[in-house]
Amino acid sequence: MPEGYLPILVMLLVTGAFATIALVVSAVLGPKRSNPAKDEAYESGILPFGDARRRFPVQFYVIAVLFILFDVEVILMYPWAVSARKLGVFGLIEMAIFLGILLVGFVYAWKNDAFKWQ
Amino acid sequence: MVPLTWYLVLAAGLFCIGVFGALARKNAVGVLMGVELMLNAVNINLVAFWRHTAVSGMTGQLFAIFVITVAAAEAAVGLALFIAIYRQRRTVNVEEIDTMKG
Amino acid sequence: MNLTDLTYLLPELILLLAATAVFLLDLLWLKRPGAEGKRALLPYVALVGLGLAALGLIPSLGGVRQVATMLAADPFAVFFKALAIIGVAVVILTAIPYLRGRTPYRGEFYALLLAVTLAVCLAVGATNLVLIYLGMEFLSITSYVLVGFLRHDCKSGEAALKYFLYGATASAVMLYGMSLLYGATGTTDLGGIAAAFASAPQGAGAGLAWLGTPAIILLLAGFGFKASLVPFHQWAPDTYEGAPTPVTAFLSTVSKATGFAVLIRVFMVVLAAMQYQWTALLIAVSIVTMTLGNLTALRQTNIKRLLAYSSIAQAGYILIGVAAVWMSGATFTGLNGVLIYLFAYLFTNVGAFAVVTAVESATGATEVKDYAGLVTRSPWLAGLLFVFLISLAGIPPTGGFMGKFFVFGAAVQQRLWVLVAIAAVNSVIAAFYYLNVVRYMFFTPAEEGAEPIGVAWPLRGALLVTAVLTLLLGLAPGPLITWATHSVQLLALR
Repeated sequence: MPEGYLPILVMLLVTGAFATIALVVSAVLGPKRSNPAKDEAYESGILPFGDARRRFPVQFYVIAVLFILFDVEVILMYPWAVSARKLGVFGLIEMAIFLGILLVGFVYAWKNDAFKWQ
Repeated sequence: MVPLTWYLVLAAGLFCIGVFGALARKNAVGVLMGVELMLNAVNINLVAFWRHTAVSGMTGQLFAIFVITVAAAEAAVGLALFIAIYRQRRTVNVEEIDTMKG
Repeated sequence: MNLTDLTYLLPELILLLAATAVFLLDLLWLKRPGAEGKRALLPYVALVGLGLAALGLIPSLGGVRQVATMLAADPFAVFFKALAIIGVAVVILTAIPYLRGRTPYRGEFYALLLAVTLAVCLAVGATNLVLIYLGMEFLSITSYVLVGFLRHDCKSGEAALKYFLYGATASAVMLYGMSLLYGATGTTDLGGIAAAFASAPQGAGAGLAWLGTPAIILLLAGFGFKASLVPFHQWAPDTYEGAPTPVTAFLSTVSKATGFAVLIRVFMVVLAAMQYQWTALLIAVSIVTMTLGNLTALRQTNIKRLLAYSSIAQAGYILIGVAAVWMSGATFTGLNGVLIYLFAYLFTNVGAFAVVTAVESATGATEVKDYAGLVTRSPWLAGLLFVFLISLAGIPPTGGFMGKFFVFGAAVQQRLWVLVAIAAVNSVIAAFYYLNVVRYMFFTPAEEGAEPIGVAWPLRGALLVTAVLTLLLGLAPGPLITWATHSVQLLALR
């Protein structure tokens, strides 16, 4: 059994060695000249502004939770989709009921202005 | 094929890490993350057992899918609770939420 | 799945429709200004839904049937579905005056109560680990929302947080046990698992049967959490104290009964081969549960906390019936004691919490000392609470006595003398703190300027139903005993 993993071990060793050599060589040979542009968080990118740890609106949070819910519940359509032909009309009706219940939840969030940016 | 025992050891390890997280973390979100680890350990178990021992059918995989979806619903309710509590008390540290005792 | 199967699913379908209807009615039409008067009708719509669901049980009566591979329509399930429907109906009656002025989101509350009834119906009928998990989790998640329903009440949020964190952990542990059972037998069907344990498992899974023992303990964590058995009880006092009182009444009766129902079905059907192991385990848990519950209840000053610890202790008594199970057609089968106890306890405890709701709605007080002189402020409330407390203490002629009689009887028949002795001592301790409340109500004078307590009409209905049934089950227990003894028939029990 473990012999099958030999290539992976070789690859691990090779990548590890390559990374180490690259770091050591650049540290030893590379010229070290500092200037202000090099010290920026994103060199030659957009200038950072403000603190990343600032507070952001709780609205993001609510939308994220709702997104997770509806996103993950849709996973349940996969098993149905795989066997849709076998389940036939019965499966279709069941899936319609399931989506109907999800829809009630969606309407609830909608009517309570959960999607509105206040 | 990787032997069943390896998966079971991995799942048991993950489950123990999850239990430790659920018991030792002070932040409610941390506790929830511990619980999610425990659920993922269960999923590894289910899928590994399905692959190795199941007599027939897809039960193990389906069970895992149900666990994932229910865990999402549970996390959503939990996080909503945490927001409500944070708005009142400015903390979700479970050691500071102790108005009731005895 | 065919049309006959659908008739056995009628209660669930009706509850689903009713919950959605209440939810959408509230959301789409009654939230508009000017519809306040019509919104007050919503709880009654919910009650009609529960009534129809009860009628939907009729096709399921009598036989032991399998419905669509994962559900059982057996007398056992029917018993617990009826218990849940009746319990939630009384809880809705107590909630009507309680919610007034506490939260504007009343429509959702009743819709959630209907949804939670649906969850109980699914959990008690489930014969497959997948559906048992889904039912229990549906029940838990809905309960978390109900417990934390009073968003602006600090205690309600804290109660929900504690309930949620314990509940999520307990269900994950239970799930791990389920995955082990699945691994040991290769199936999640309860009958299939039982068959696999009975014969030596075949195929690649052979040799994994020993996983049954750890699975018992892990499963007990999940079921014991719902039934508030020690050591899975820590959430109970805080959650019971902080939750809206009608929700507390629900948690301590219907939710607890569901925990017992699932525990009995899984342990009796699946783990029958390992009965010697789990009997010893359950006896130990039962002793610890009642002793710890009663001793801690002794020093409580808040009435909701007192009833919470009393509820933990009661779970210990009920567990005696499961530990002393004896399925041989005898009078005391243990299980019929559990059913009688749970049914009597439903009315007794919901009634006690209805009195607490009445006092809390009128005065906001939940301390035991606030009950001083209750007899002068409201003789009816004091009298009713007296009835409920003696029923909790197990003194005749009340339903609580019948429950204890049948549960202890089963233990005597099984010659579990130590268990019986400890239970008897515990009953005496319990009587002490129940009667302490009675002492406050009748023999301690009320504070200066204490006003009479008015009780709203729906609450009077709830008090009437619970009090009459608590007494009736003690005075004329025949029909209940017959029904409970008939209801121990489980699908796939060999």
